[in-house]
Amino acid sequence: MGLKRNVSLSTALGYKGQGPYLTFILHRIGGSALFILFTVYILSLLGVRSMHALMSNWLFQVVFLVFALFHAINGLRITILDLFPKLIEHFRIAINIEWVVYILVAGFALFVVLRTAFGG
Amino acid sequence: MATRTLSIKKRGLNFETFMWAFTRFTVIAMYGLILLGILGGLRLSMMTGVNFGNIMYWAFFPNMVPVPLGQVWMNIVVRLMVIAFVLVACGHGVHGVLEIWDDYVTNESARRWARNIVITYAILASIVAVYVILTA
Repeated sequence: MGLKRNVSLSTALGYKGQGPYLTFILHRIGGSALFILFTVYILSLLGVRSMHALMSNWLFQVVFLVFALFHAINGLRITILDLFPKLIEHFRIAINIEWVVYILVAGFALFVVLRTAFGG
Repeated sequence: MATRTLSIKKRGLNFETFMWAFTRFTVIAMYGLILLGILGGLRLSMMTGVNFGNIMYWAFFPNMVPVPLGQVWMNIVVRLMVIAFVLVACGHGVHGVLEIWDDYVTNESARRWARNIVITYAILASIVAVYVILTA
């Protein structure tokens, strides 16, 4: 199957998993974004100035924060549900709580980054 | 919905089960290090009067700015914590990236090459990170 699948992302998001599937796919995108960030960080440590400049760029920080925070918060939910399997029955409630926490944390983080970038 | 739980004995400790546990434990270690890092950074900030943001910036980019902390033990503790975080994050990431890759690429050869490349990259990147953080 693999490369021959013909299901678009929008169709996949309409799959009956819906909310849970959205967290699943965002978790993967977030993980991939963090892998790129890790590479930028290592190059930055090596003294590549352009990579360090990239990390200082507000747009890069915004994109990174949006995905990284989701990955971290969703990962925490997954870990809690994995370690306490009886809670899996309430996984939809857990996802709703996760979204509330994410919006609050990401909102605050973006506010700080944008305020620093544009002054005020 | 009924929950399904299997003991390790019934499940069998194969590579996938081991990596599943490894990913869970590394992420718990990362949460612990993040919490410890924030609390430790705030305490160092309180003790030395150095801005918390500057401590964090130096901790992750020790080759970019002068050491803001006066006492040697503080420098060593901060460096060791950052090294621990980078290594744990690297281990966690390797499995994550390979899992995504394996889900979308079914060719055995491509999977094997990806596994070799990603693991080699992770080892090299870890060595570079540890070297720079220790020697900066």
